[in-house]
Amino acid sequence: MKNRLRVLRAEREWSQADLAQRLEVSRQSVNAIETGKFDPSLPLAFKLARLFETTIEAIFTDEHLG
Amino acid sequence: MICSTNNPAARRYMWRFSVTMLLYLVFLVIAVWTFVHRHPTGPLAWLLAFLPALAILGQIAAFGLYLGEEKDEFQVALGVKSMLWGIGGTLAVTVTWGFLENFPQLRHLDLILVYPIFCALSGIAYGLLQLRYR
Repeated sequence: MKNRLRVLRAEREWSQADLAQRLEVSRQSVNAIETGKFDPSLPLAFKLARLFETTIEAIFTDEHLG
Repeated sequence: MICSTNNPAARRYMWRFSVTMLLYLVFLVIAVWTFVHRHPTGPLAWLLAFLPALAILGQIAAFGLYLGEEKDEFQVALGVKSMLWGIGGTLAVTVTWGFLENFPQLRHLDLILVYPIFCALSGIAYGLLQLRYR
């Protein structure tokens, strides 16, 4: 699943480790989500949305919709 | 199987794994020594034979507890995936070996080796997954 995590992180000047700390997950997990290798669960997606003060749809894009 | 020790669940797992591994070694030495020197029979013999297996069951339970306690869902997914590769690989190796045993030249695969094979294959799978997701 495509996502805008890298952009959102860059806007706040957060490293992957910074985001990982805020999400209480490993940096490896953030990297896997960011590179689209791992799709987060709904609770983690909501946590990301709350953290970036936006909606899940604004972070993740359904590739089937283009 | 879990190398990362930077979170409480992983640290607890490593602790439980170490304890059960130590118990395994102690139980194994006690059982082997007693069978060789005291030749026990009856319930005591059964108990002694079962003790090392009990420690192995503890190790499996420790990993189950880790999967339940780990808050990082990606790490849980890594653990589950590596375990599934380990189970699949163990089934493949043991069933293939079983058929090959029809040839008299091949030595019988002792069932006691199934768990080490599973651990080795799960460990290899975990390492490869770590490389993929680093």
